[in-house]
Amino acid sequence: MEKRTMVSLIVIGVIAVTVMIVGCIEDETTEMTTINIGYQPSTHQIAAMLASEKGWWEEDLAKFGIEKVVMKEFPSGPPEMHAMLAGDLDVAYVGTAPPIAAMYEGLDAKIVAGAQTQGSALVISPELADEYESVGVQSLKGKKIATFPPGSIQHTVLSKWLLDNGIDPETDVDIKAMGPSDAATAIGAKTVDAVFLPSPTPTIIEEEGNGVIVAWSGSISPNHACCCVVASGTMMQEHPDIVKQIIKTHIRATEYEIAHPEEAAEIYAKWLDADVSTIKQSINVTDMHWIHDPSIEVESGLEYAKVIYELNRERYEEKGIEVLEEEDIFDTSFYDEVMEER
Amino acid sequence: MRRPTKEEGLWLVPLIIVILLWEIIAGYVIKDALILPRFSAVIFSIYMLRELLILDILVSILHFGIGMTLAFSVALPLAIAMGWFRNVFRAVDPIIEIVRPIPPLAWIPLAIVWIGLNHYAAGFIIFIGAFFPILINSYTGFRDVPRVLVETGNVLGCIGNIKLIRYVALPYALPSIATGTRVGMGVGWMCVVAAEMFGVGNSGLGYRLFQKFYFLHQMDYVVAYMLILGVLALCLDRLFRHLVEDKLFRWKKGIVK
Repeated sequence: MEKRTMVSLIVIGVIAVTVMIVGCIEDETTEMTTINIGYQPSTHQIAAMLASEKGWWEEDLAKFGIEKVVMKEFPSGPPEMHAMLAGDLDVAYVGTAPPIAAMYEGLDAKIVAGAQTQGSALVISPELADEYESVGVQSLKGKKIATFPPGSIQHTVLSKWLLDNGIDPETDVDIKAMGPSDAATAIGAKTVDAVFLPSPTPTIIEEEGNGVIVAWSGSISPNHACCCVVASGTMMQEHPDIVKQIIKTHIRATEYEIAHPEEAAEIYAKWLDADVSTIKQSINVTDMHWIHDPSIEVESGLEYAKVIYELNRERYEEKGIEVLEEEDIFDTSFYDEVMEER
Repeated sequence: MRRPTKEEGLWLVPLIIVILLWEIIAGYVIKDALILPRFSAVIFSIYMLRELLILDILVSILHFGIGMTLAFSVALPLAIAMGWFRNVFRAVDPIIEIVRPIPPLAWIPLAIVWIGLNHYAAGFIIFIGAFFPILINSYTGFRDVPRVLVETGNVLGCIGNIKLIRYVALPYALPSIATGTRVGMGVGWMCVVAAEMFGVGNSGLGYRLFQKFYFLHQMDYVVAYMLILGVLALCLDRLFRHLVEDKLFRWKKGIVK
């Protein structure tokens, strides 16, 4: 009797768990009325915030039956791409490297528009700035440098630059993988000697007196791709018109921010509760360019794809994954059509 | 036909059921390694990662060791003082109760500023997690020493706080200290991932799981490391129980077992 009860309980448990899981993953094939857009708190991606602040997303997408556009903030690219992998994001403003890393693991998405190039900076502790000015990049030997983790744009650009200058990023310097807030705290507490981060953090660190910006990423790797707009495979296949409209709205927002950088700074400051003058200063001094053409980012996108592949060669080879090519990462057809229509 | 069931093997049945369920649900229901990798894929990942794994385990155990040593050596004297002297308890308890609910994760910015980016900073986060369970269980042990034991001690010539603590309270509180340490070890181990998330080093189970595998969406590796974290915690707990409960507290056999 006892044994029978136990067996019944196990069977009921198994059925309940299976039903729950099947229920959870069942697709809802309803008409699309909401679009989820991911972005990060960086001046690189103001276009996303600007279009939302002005109500352009809803205004432009209403004709496709979209009633609501939800803006979802992420601290960095990987969790954002994770959300896209889980199907929670339709469109994402993100660095070019995280979607490529996710594509290697099966993310069904493509880069459909550019958002911005360059715009990261090497910031050095005030005490070491003079040494850097006189000796240059060689002064970084033996120093602790905080940047985003391996596979990120910042890590890739920094490592390549060091290598090109005869400094082994593995042995000659101590690169610490950190998020922007931790890195800013670390240079303030003098636990690292330098940081290599995207705007606006370099300017924030400089304004706080904790570091000096000594090199912008454009001087390290000219015109390197940074942020882009990614659309999910479902969006591209099932709602190509909406993707085109999103690109149009992105172009509208990008052109507006280029023409009105002060207002763009104010919107950013309002969204992220930041100091307006610091953000304006950050936009003034940075070497970043807001763009919308995805073809500008193809060359460095392919470079990042190679770097990420090298980092994980053993895993990818074992799984039969090959280096991603341009057509695996980019789909410029939507952008090209939009530009032809203009 | 009835097969004889060995009591020792009881744990194996639920374990096999969970593994089978995991494999079936991942392979035939979910069918997406990013949402839930199969058990077999996870085990294969552990094999693939075997070289990294040893270094990462050693580094994580170093962080854990630093945190636990610090937690034990700070919590025990404080627990004796708080448990034995009522005034110390009254004075210190509010501070403890204010600091105790602060999650170890919230201490990361201070760990960076106070200690820097080194193994000790990771140890500090683990210390925060392990300290309070050890402290609270231990001082409860000291506070609950029955009056009759203290008076008997007095009659037998055990006079003065130091002697009473050494010969009466400490032996009485030992099981509570052991329980506190065991709970503290569990909480401390849970903090290993958080402790290695903020650039303290370029190895460690938490670092690899969070800064590399998760960053690159390698979910089979993530789950493999989660499994390793769980199995290691089990080993640490079993080792502790073997050393402390089975060896040190053999006199308690029959009471607890």
